[in-house]
Amino acid sequence: MNSSKWEIGPIFRALMRNKVGAVLIAIQIAVTMTIVVNSIFIILERAELMKRDSGIDEANSFYLTTTGFATDFNAQSTTTEDLEAIRNTPGVLDAIQINAIPTSGSGWSMSFQTEAGEGLEDEGAAVYMIDENGLNTLDIELIAGENFTPSDIRWRAPGSPDWPETVIITKALSESLFPDENWQFALGKTIFISSNQPMIVKGIVDKIQAPWVGWSDLEHTVLVPEKTLFNSNRYFIRAEPGQRDAIMPEIEEMLASSNKGRIIRGMRTVEETRERSYRSDAAMIKILSTVMVILTIVTGLGIVGLASFSVNRRKKQIGTRRALGASQSAIVRYFMLENFLISTVGVVLGAGLTIGLNVLLVNMFSLPALDWYFVPAGMLVLWLVGQIAVFGPAKKAANIPPAMATRTV
Amino acid sequence: MLKMTDVKKVFRTELVETHALRDFNLQVNEGDFVAVTGPSGSGKTTFLNIAGLLETFEGGQYELDGQDVSNLNDKARSQLRNEKIGFIFQSFNLIPDLNLFDNVDVPLRYRGFNSAERKKRIEESLEMVGLANRMKHLPSQLSGGQQQRAAIARALAGQPRFLLADEPTGNLDTKMALSVLELLKTINDFGTTIVMVTHDQHLAEQAKRNIYVRDGKVSESGEVVSLENAVNA
Repeated sequence: MNSSKWEIGPIFRALMRNKVGAVLIAIQIAVTMTIVVNSIFIILERAELMKRDSGIDEANSFYLTTTGFATDFNAQSTTTEDLEAIRNTPGVLDAIQINAIPTSGSGWSMSFQTEAGEGLEDEGAAVYMIDENGLNTLDIELIAGENFTPSDIRWRAPGSPDWPETVIITKALSESLFPDENWQFALGKTIFISSNQPMIVKGIVDKIQAPWVGWSDLEHTVLVPEKTLFNSNRYFIRAEPGQRDAIMPEIEEMLASSNKGRIIRGMRTVEETRERSYRSDAAMIKILSTVMVILTIVTGLGIVGLASFSVNRRKKQIGTRRALGASQSAIVRYFMLENFLISTVGVVLGAGLTIGLNVLLVNMFSLPALDWYFVPAGMLVLWLVGQIAVFGPAKKAANIPPAMATRTV
Repeated sequence: MLKMTDVKKVFRTELVETHALRDFNLQVNEGDFVAVTGPSGSGKTTFLNIAGLLETFEGGQYELDGQDVSNLNDKARSQLRNEKIGFIFQSFNLIPDLNLFDNVDVPLRYRGFNSAERKKRIEESLEMVGLANRMKHLPSQLSGGQQQRAAIARALAGQPRFLLADEPTGNLDTKMALSVLELLKTINDFGTTIVMVTHDQHLAEQAKRNIYVRDGKVSESGEVVSLENAVNA
């Protein structure tokens, strides 16, 4: 490659003598890069959050709420009969009563610690009350210890402060409770709920998310062997693959007709629940994507505008260059190079602003710090946008005839 | 050096067809200093554009330095312009955002010379036109005469065989015009062939040979002709 044909020095010096338009475009590129790169980072981060596996069989599961209102409503017998009827319904894989739904946004949380006593270090965890069918219904993998047996399951009366003697915890909670040990260490150990009530870790499951998707300890979860005697209860039902939508109305109708002293409400798939929980994140992704696209287009159009203006203003100059021996490709190269220099100033400034905005977001909104490669990737994209945008005006400039040099107007 | 045989050039719009050159015949020999005169619209500038490979033409043949350039593509024409032809324009056509050094550098970069060679040629050509001490000046910081001298330096830096000047003194006062003319004569004395289009009969009389163009044809060609002869032709 012949370096003399790359007129970097003369172009740069010419830009320095006529810099208002170029500086404005460089600033626009810098601002666009700052917003686009941080937006992409936020979008990818949100998308990553939304992709997290809840640990349960979302595709085939649904749940509903049954609320007894009759004066003779018996929660225990109703729950027992309901679960038996649901489990015997063709197309149902398994079912349980549960106090909260993963990713739903509403549930129970308690603190757990490895030693009894007030004021000691503890870990918060979501609590799901399930029976011996819980692991199968939720499709959670037991990776150590044992499942609950029917004899472990007890009925919890409203307002009861007591907790069962055994508990199954997630691997993530095990690692947090015993940070210096491997995750199997918790098995068989006694942990304490509400500061001093002992529970023996009977099993460890791989994963089940808490109800709150925005919580940093989303996989801090415990399963306790309990069914509740509340008037209002939830049933979590796992269907055979592909059967969910067919059996939902069937189950609803069966429960409604089996006991006239209660109502059935809030029937919803787990997929829908996940979609609702992440709706604000999905909206943010859409908004940021739209802003990014608009900003990039506006910047591209700005470059097209400046380059077109520049070509029109310099027709005679371009004709003179052609007369002096510039080929059409040399004229295209000139404008591409000029834009590259402007874009370089813009993206270098943009790199600084991008990091600055990220630091601000980290400090103000506890967002994670930008991965290093986002900045060079953003620079590359904006360079490319500039080159693509300037190509049209550059081609137009190259078509200016050399005879333009001798025209008097 | 330059030989045009039956060259035709027609400008067409939807409504009008203008024959700018009709069977244009001209031969310019090496070392000539030819002045081309003629009334407005006679085809002088069209001739200059075709001679300088700035425009194509429809019919006839054009040989430049022994090479038939009638059907060259744009890239080859650009290369020939760069290597063999130097241009001097009425409005100087210096690039206003570049200083004199960078202005003279423009055609040398297209030629592909290395940095040291370009610097040597730029300094020599600016020295020749008496602007060696103005290399860092912008065109706007120079007088009209100085700007035209800078344009001549740009044309000479590539050491062309053939210099085309389009009304080189048209924008200059008499004193500056004379100094530019003297410069052109000096350049011609060094062997560079010059074709100059001009309205200025006095200037034309300083050339070795005069060509009178009327209605797209060479009407008169020969040794120096007087104003009266040209007008009466």
